[in-house]
Amino acid sequence: MKKIDNWAPLVTGYRAHEQQSETDSLWTLKGDIGALARVIQFQVHITEWNGPSRVAFDLKGLNEPLAGGGSFEMRACGSGEAATGPAASRSNPVSRFFEAIARSLLRLFGGGAPRRAAADDAGPGESTAELRFRLEVNPGGPMAPMLNALMKPVMLPAAEQLADGIVAKLEEIHGTKA
Amino acid sequence: MAKAPARWDLEVDWISIGSGLGGVCSAIAAHDAGGEAVILEKASKLGGLSGYGAGEVFVPNNRWMRDLGIEDSDADGRAYLGFVAGGFNRPEHFEKMYTTAKEAVEYFGREAGVQWLAVEGLPDYYYPKVVGSHAGGRYLSVELFDAKQLGEWQSKTYTMSPHIPPAALHREMYAWGGLSSITQWDYELIGKRIEEDQRSMGTGMMGWLVKAAVVDRGIPAHVDTPVRELVTDASGTVIGVRAEKGGCDFFVKAARGVVIAAGGYDHNKQMACAYESMPDWNTSVPPGIEGDNIVMGTEVGASITAVPAYNLAMFYGYHIPGEEAEGAPVFRSGWECGVPHAIWVNKKGERFCDESTYKDYQPRLRHWDGNTQTMPNIPPALVFDQNYRDRYPVGSYTPGQALPEGLAHTADTPRALGEKLGVDPEGLERTIARYNEHARNGEDPDFHRGSYPWANRMVGDFDYPNPNVAPLDKPPYYGINLVPVSVGVNSHGLETDTNAQVVHVRGHSIPGLYAVGNSAALLDLGAGYQSGCSNMRAITWGYIAGRHALGKG
Repeated sequence: MKKIDNWAPLVTGYRAHEQQSETDSLWTLKGDIGALARVIQFQVHITEWNGPSRVAFDLKGLNEPLAGGGSFEMRACGSGEAATGPAASRSNPVSRFFEAIARSLLRLFGGGAPRRAAADDAGPGESTAELRFRLEVNPGGPMAPMLNALMKPVMLPAAEQLADGIVAKLEEIHGTKA
Repeated sequence: MAKAPARWDLEVDWISIGSGLGGVCSAIAAHDAGGEAVILEKASKLGGLSGYGAGEVFVPNNRWMRDLGIEDSDADGRAYLGFVAGGFNRPEHFEKMYTTAKEAVEYFGREAGVQWLAVEGLPDYYYPKVVGSHAGGRYLSVELFDAKQLGEWQSKTYTMSPHIPPAALHREMYAWGGLSSITQWDYELIGKRIEEDQRSMGTGMMGWLVKAAVVDRGIPAHVDTPVRELVTDASGTVIGVRAEKGGCDFFVKAARGVVIAAGGYDHNKQMACAYESMPDWNTSVPPGIEGDNIVMGTEVGASITAVPAYNLAMFYGYHIPGEEAEGAPVFRSGWECGVPHAIWVNKKGERFCDESTYKDYQPRLRHWDGNTQTMPNIPPALVFDQNYRDRYPVGSYTPGQALPEGLAHTADTPRALGEKLGVDPEGLERTIARYNEHARNGEDPDFHRGSYPWANRMVGDFDYPNPNVAPLDKPPYYGINLVPVSVGVNSHGLETDTNAQVVHVRGHSIPGLYAVGNSAALLDLGAGYQSGCSNMRAITWGYIAGRHALGKG
């Protein structure tokens, strides 16, 4: 996760990114806002690195009035542990908060060929890992309530796509591909 | 044209090629007259250009304005639209359009459930200077449409347009201050409506009509189904079409008629430049409007005719780098030129028009100078100052928001801006100085900008004594090199008779073939333009065509 190059292209609408320092990067995405597709540039600043279990960041739009932040959290779930329920999507008038959870079944003990499956399917001796991606985006400017409404249909699928993509990539890297 | 297949994939009475106003209204009319209709749409969504626009329908002396107590008369209506035509309409087409327009909109209001309303306070273009012009009420728009009524078609119709502010009614737009005050509109209300998928203007109008056609009447509609050729029999009668569906031929037979309601040729640059006598061309219309009317019509011998392109809806605007809709670059129409603190200049750095009214600048854009064999006023440049940037948006970029790289030049002086824009720097400096001299008093002695109430209402700022005029006197100065941007109204189209049937080059009507909307030549409207007339034509002739084919007209 620390190497942005590993997962940046998985972001929906990814066009380019530039790592400026250990904590700062510049991103260019193409996103749908209502009837229009626009190129959006924003600055990301890592505020917390407690990898691999948690990475938190702030983001700020450079050519659009957007601000926000988010986090990636990875945790291992013990065998038999109940899977985390679906994330509740919270909304308020000026921000969109999305949470996407992707789960991967990893054999953490005894080797073997891990497989991707629902967390509920974990058998004895098997463990799951859970990746939780949170994203909060606050549109600014006089049109914020409209932008808020336009962003809603695209943000959660984008967050889910990213979480799922990262899990797939992790599986590939660790030789755990289903 | 294609030969009749051994077996048709679908047999109906009426085929609408295109799902804008003309296609949907003619399908409803044909259905209601007892026929079985089908709508074939090239794009992935129903609505066509009609779904991209402001949804105004210009109908003088309409019932809804009378309900509001606004007086009008058919004598005034005829006089006004007759003036607009400039002598280039055909009297029989004009009269058929004029007398049927009210009947058609009332029909779709009554039988198709369209909730029309008259837009108060938006004057005719030429009011008050032309006989028969009126101060408001002639434009019809629609009440908000709840798109959830469309069921599976909710996602297959336009939710919003790339060009028109969503989810706001005309009366609200003007109550909130118009386009120049767009940053001050009620976005809490707009946001709520977007979340509920409440549609207005063009998307709302098409919502009402698609519901009436596809949901209420069960008229089948096929999207992603481009019609490629007309099918004729040995006598030359059009008996169906060859379309494509899922990559395969899809032959549809029409026992009573086929209407070409596929728009004009805006996305066919070669055709557009030739027919419009323009050196360059871009468009704001949805992708897929590529001259199918011309191609398919001429393949069966249709006559192409034209009206002078002097006053048709040709704008000069710009493209914001990276901005797209439906996979194609978005070209904005550049209404900023009529807002205070902004002007247009040509390559000499000179103004050449009243930038606040289409009817003035469109002919002047097309001016040909025989001494230099050039069109000296194109492409113009939009010039504005920091006063403008402090108050008004540029496209969707609000005051305080940096403009995207590559869109505008900036400089601290008019002369320096001229250098960057590629216009005569001294000319620009003189022009701004002269403009400012009078603009400080709200005057424009050269082009009388701001003298039309329509311009005041559409793009003016009523904080100023002259809503369209204010000086450019606060650096930095900004400039955008503009490009042509069409909006779907073409000078050339299929010749039709007064039943909307397409006319053959040899003068007879082609049995089984109709053309309406922007696919048909402007024989009714002539050389001029008035907002709302394209929609009015499409609804009216669509109504006429569908009924005529089924023996009702």
